[in-house]
Amino acid sequence: MSKKIESAYIEGAKKAIASPTLQKSLDNIQDRFGKGAMQLWKELEDQGMRDRVKESRMRTLAHLDIILMELAQKVRKRGGKVFFARTAEEAVAYTLEVAQKNQVKSVVKGKSMTSMEIDIDPALEKAGIEVVETDLGEYIIQLAGDTPSHIIAPCIHMDRHDIGKLFTDKLGIEPTTDPPELTMAARKALREKLLSADMGITGCNLACAETGQIALVSNEGNIRMSTTMPRIHLALMGMERVTATTDEQRETLQLLTRGAALQKLSTYVSFNGGPKKEGDPDGPEEFHLVIIDNGRSKILADLEFRESLACIRCGACLNICPVYGKIGGHAYNSTYPGPIGAVITPLLDGVNKHADLCKGETLCGACLDVCPVKNDLPRMLSALRYKLAYGDNRWNVRQHNVKEAYVYAAWQKAISHSSAYRRMIKTARLLQKPFIGKNNMIKKMAGLASGWTDDRDLPPIAQRTFSEIWDEKYAKRQQQTPAIKEETNNEK
Amino acid sequence: MRNDLPFLDNIRKALNLPQGQERTKLTVPTLFEKPDKSATRRRIERRTYQEKQDLINIFSENCTNLGTKLHIAGSLKEAEDITVEIVRSRQPEFSYNRHIVLHDHPDIAAMQLWKRFNRESVTVHTTFSGDHETTEKTIASYIGITVPSISIAESGTLVQITSAGCPRSTSLVPSIHIALIRSETLVADLKEACCLLEDLKPEDSYVFISGPSKTADIEAHLVHGAHGPKEVHIILLKEEPQQLEPQAIQVESESPSEEKTESETPPEQACTLDDQAEETAEKS
Ligand code: SF4
Repeated sequence: MSKKIESAYIEGAKKAIASPTLQKSLDNIQDRFGKGAMQLWKELEDQGMRDRVKESRMRTLAHLDIILMELAQKVRKRGGKVFFARTAEEAVAYTLEVAQKNQVKSVVKGKSMTSMEIDIDPALEKAGIEVVETDLGEYIIQLAGDTPSHIIAPCIHMDRHDIGKLFTDKLGIEPTTDPPELTMAARKALREKLLSADMGITGCNLACAETGQIALVSNEGNIRMSTTMPRIHLALMGMERVTATTDEQRETLQLLTRGAALQKLSTYVSFNGGPKKEGDPDGPEEFHLVIIDNGRSKILADLEFRESLACIRCGACLNICPVYGKIGGHAYNSTYPGPIGAVITPLLDGVNKHADLCKGETLCGACLDVCPVKNDLPRMLSALRYKLAYGDNRWNVRQHNVKEAYVYAAWQKAISHSSAYRRMIKTARLLQKPFIGKNNMIKKMAGLASGWTDDRDLPPIAQRTFSEIWDEKYAKRQQQTPAIKEETNNEK
Repeated sequence: MRNDLPFLDNIRKALNLPQGQERTKLTVPTLFEKPDKSATRRRIERRTYQEKQDLINIFSENCTNLGTKLHIAGSLKEAEDITVEIVRSRQPEFSYNRHIVLHDHPDIAAMQLWKRFNRESVTVHTTFSGDHETTEKTIASYIGITVPSISIAESGTLVQITSAGCPRSTSLVPSIHIALIRSETLVADLKEACCLLEDLKPEDSYVFISGPSKTADIEAHLVHGAHGPKEVHIILLKEEPQQLEPQAIQVESESPSEEKTESETPPEQACTLDDQAEETAEKS
C-alpha cells in the first residue's frame, strides 16, 4: 500500500510538470496571491494582528473542551442541533440519518474540504440522493469526475478549452471558451439546483462559541444560497475551527480573507446559527452542526504538532510553496494539498503511508513566512522526517527506509575519520570514471543510488577536495600577508 | 443521538487534564473576556462632519474597486428617482416579467415605488412578515431592495441583518441588489461595525456583503454574477445640514469613478504634503 501511494506522488508530480496548462495556472496564482500575500503582511497597518490571532488560536486549542461545550450550548439555545462525531463514519452516518428522516432527495454543497475528508458524497449517492457541488470550480470538477487541486481554486489544472468542451458535453450548451459565457451557463444550471434542493451541506470557516453562530465566507454566493433556500442546513466543522469570542472571530476572519485572496473581506461573510425565526419566509427549518474529530484529538495531544490545528485553511502556503508551484495539488493524493497538507495528511491518515509528502517539501520556510497565523510548517515537516528516519511509537511510524539509515550510519562513521574518508573519496574518484558522460556529469548510477540519477544528472566527485584547494590557495596567500592585512585595516 | 460526553472526554484526555474533572467557562473566566470597546464607541460617536465626509470618499473608492455602483442622494425623493431609473433601465435575467421585491422597511415604504410604477408593467412586492408567497415572489423578481443596518468604508461592505419582514433572499436571489443606506450608518472599519453589531445583538442570521457576486474559477478570469446578484447598487442618503451651499450635494447617477468631484482633491493634497513633510523630517 505504502509503495503504491509513494509512486503515485512521483507519478502525479511528473504528470503535473508535463502539463503546460497547469504550469501556467500555477505560475499565475503564485505570482498574484503568493507574492501578494507577502506584500500585504508587510504593509499591514496592525503588525501585531498575526501574532495576536495565533495566540488566540493556540489558547482556543488549549481550552477546546470548554469552548466546544459552550458552542454546542449556544447553538442548541438558538434551536440548532449539534452532533459530535468522533470519526468520519459517525459524521457520515449522522448526515445520512438527517437526510433520510427528512426525505431529502437532493443536496447542494457549498465548498467544504471537511466533506471531502469524511467522503460523504458516495454515502449520499448510494442512498439515492442527488449531490451537486455549487462552487463553480467544484462543480466543474464534479462534472469532469475529477478531484480538486487547490484549496480555494479547485480547477486550476483545467483551462477554458477543457471547461468549454465539458460544458458542451454535459450541459448541452453551444461551444464556447469565453469565461463569462461559461460562468453564466453554470449560473443558470446551478440556480435551478440551488432553488429546489432539500438540503444544503456546507463546511464551517469559523464558529464562535460566544454567539453560537458559524461564519461562512464565499465570493460566489453559493454558500448563502445553500444555507438560505433548502429546508435543511447541515454544517460540517473540523473541531478546531472555532473561536471563543466575536472579537477573535472577527480578527481571524480578516486574516483568512486576506491570506486566501488578498481581500479585506470576501464578497459574502454570513453568520448562521439556528433555524429560521418565526415569520422568516426563508432560511432552513432545521440547522445541524456536526463537529468532527476524525484524528484531530491525536494531533491536539502532541505539542509538537498541535500548532497545525491553528490553521485556518486560507491556502496561502500553497500559493507560495515552490514544490506545490511545480507539482500542483493532485500529486499530494490527499484532501489537503500543499505544505499544510504535507503536515496534516500524514498525521490524519498515516505517516508511513504519506511519507513522500513529508519528504517532498524543501523546508525553504516560505510557508511559514506567508501563513497568516505563522504556522511553523517547516519545523513540523522536519519532525515528521525525524520520525520516519528513526521510527516512532506514538504515531505508529516504522523506520521509513532501513537501508538508507544504514548507509547514513556508515557515512557518519566514514566522515568522522579523516583518513578513512580520504581513502574512500580516492576510490570513488576511480570508480565513477566510467559513469561520467559527455557533459561531464554522471548520468546513471547503479543499485541503491540509481534513484538519484533517474531524473537528473549528478556532478562527479571533484578531482581535489575543498581543503586541498584551500591549502594550495592559502599557502600562496600567506606570502602576501602584509597586503591582506592592509586590506582588512582599510575595511575597518 | 448524542455523543457529547465521550467526544469531550477525548479532548480532555488529549489536553492532559485530570480524569473525571469537567472544566467549565467559569474555570477559566479570562477565556471569554471581551476587550474594552469604549474608545471605539467614542470614535464612532464623536466623528466630525469632515471625518464623515472622508469616510464617504473612502467608501466610494472601495465600492468602485469592488464593482459596486454608488449613488449619492440628497433626499429620499432623489433616492426614489435613482431607484426608478435603475428599474427602468435593466432587463429581467430569468423571465420576461418585471417584478421587484422590497424589504418591509419604513425608508423603502416612504419611496412609494408602487405609485411610480402604477402605469408600467412593473410589479412591486414587499416581503411582509407572514406572507407565505414571499419566496416565490423573490425568485420571480429581478431586483431586490433592502436597507442594511451598517455600512463599512474600509471594505465597501454592507451589513444586512435578517428579521421578520427583512428576509435573507432579497439581497441574494434577484439579479440586481439595490441597498438604500443612510450616511449615519457608515463606519470606518470592521472593528467599528462589530462594535455596533454587539449592541444590536442580532438574534437572527446576518451577512456582510462586499460587492456583487463573483468568481475567478475559470483561468482566474474575474466574472461578476456567479450565483448571487450580478449588480449591486448602493444609494447613499446624505441629508446635508441646512447651512451648507446647495452645490455641496452631489447626485451621482451611473459611474461614481468618472464623476469624482473636486471636494475629494483637497484632503488628498493635504495628505501628500504631510507625507512630504514627514519625508523631509526623516532625512534631516
Ligand atoms: S497553514 Fe497557514 S497558510 Fe497554510 S492554509 Fe493553514 S493558515 Fe493558511
